[in-house]
Amino acid sequence: MAFSMMLRRPVCSGPIMQQVMRLATQPAVKPNLTQNTIQSLKSTLLKTETTPIMNSVRSFRTSAVRFAEGKSGDHSKLWVVERVASAALLPLIPLALIAPSKILDSALAIIMVAHSFWGLEAIAVDYVRASIFGPVIPKIAIGLVYLVSIATLGGLFYIITHDVGLANSIRQFWSIKAGQKA
Amino acid sequence: MPLLRLTSGTFGSLRTFATSSALGKRVKTFAVYRWNPDEPDKKPYTQNFEVDLDDCAPMVLDALLKIKNEMDPTLTFRRSCREGVCGSCAMNIDGINTLACISHIDQNLNKPSKIYPLPHMYVVKDLVPDLTNFYRQYQSIEPWLQRDKEAVKGKETQLLQDVEDRVKLDGLYECVLCACCSTSCPSYWWNGDKYLGPAVLMQAYRWIIDSRDDATAKRLESLKDTYSVYRCHTIMNCTRTCPKGLNPGRAIAQIKTLLSGMVKKQSPIMDPAGLEKQAVQN
Repeated sequence: MAFSMMLRRPVCSGPIMQQVMRLATQPAVKPNLTQNTIQSLKSTLLKTETTPIMNSVRSFRTSAVRFAEGKSGDHSKLWVVERVASAALLPLIPLALIAPSKILDSALAIIMVAHSFWGLEAIAVDYVRASIFGPVIPKIAIGLVYLVSIATLGGLFYIITHDVGLANSIRQFWSIKAGQKA
Repeated sequence: MPLLRLTSGTFGSLRTFATSSALGKRVKTFAVYRWNPDEPDKKPYTQNFEVDLDDCAPMVLDALLKIKNEMDPTLTFRRSCREGVCGSCAMNIDGINTLACISHIDQNLNKPSKIYPLPHMYVVKDLVPDLTNFYRQYQSIEPWLQRDKEAVKGKETQLLQDVEDRVKLDGLYECVLCACCSTSCPSYWWNGDKYLGPAVLMQAYRWIIDSRDDATAKRLESLKDTYSVYRCHTIMNCTRTCPKGLNPGRAIAQIKTLLSGMVKKQSPIMDPAGLEKQAVQN
């Protein structure tokens, strides 16, 4: 009986209890201290280099350092050049095939190689990246893209200057067929 | 057969009898990705849960809640509004990034529904991905209105915006940042540390074209490097997967045209500081 009475009595409303509560909460209510806690909370929430949750299990960086790394160069002008090159190929390919000439052949060779170079470069940058392959291999990959592109361009220009030319070489596919039939 | 129909009563019950398992219920299997950080040695696995669809509300989130309430309280996932306005329950359902609360349960009982966390994200637990990087990228585009002359505190006036200028923000401001689009983007998978991703870029565009915002040049300047925007190869997974039906791919294309300098941001139809100037005159 007495025990249940004690349970039912509002314990926290007694004057002694109120005093205890006031003492217990006082430090936390002090303005400068709250500010400090907020400040430290802010710094941990905003500036930490690792994820705030579960640091005990695994931490990984999502820091500004990694963010800024490789964020160099203005790509906006190059983007325009890329688009113009792609658009130019549309009329240039049929035109060069209809009227074979060294000028059109050269233009076709340069723009085609440039177009494929940017495509291959994007593939290398996207897939062969430093976070997976380390610092060296990505550079080799980009170097290979340059090598392949230069070799292709050289080969195409060899055909243009020392052989029948690009458009005529492609036209020969049909002439072979016609010759076999006849 | 007619005898069976007589004994079993209505057509409806016959149908359930025909399609159900031995229990006589419409039981759907959900294969749910599980991983517990407290058991780091245990590899992630999928756990099958069987849910009676006749005893479950129609959405995938309802099924997940039913599993959590009745079968396994340790199943962990984010959810809040249960109506597609908060973006918490973004997950990969049957191979498509979407919100569990607004996607119907596939009624085909023969095939289990596969439920995975958003792809290519670090997993905190079960279906909860770590979105720290995503939020930090969002923070990096400074998603708030910036004026050359910041209003003096206590003397703020309303900024004016023409209806036509306001219309430009439609299809952009509705984004709930559920990260479905960003995590469906291969470019974001491979270069998520440097490429901002469709969701964040669409919000960048939302602030770039806001007629009241003065920081357009600064915003564009911070995006023109090789990685932030130009890792977008117009794969358009973002637009296909967006549970809100928005078009982040288009927004990124618009950013590219603005960056090229060939298209300029139109000057505001209505002077945003009109009311302020009026107040000074009076």
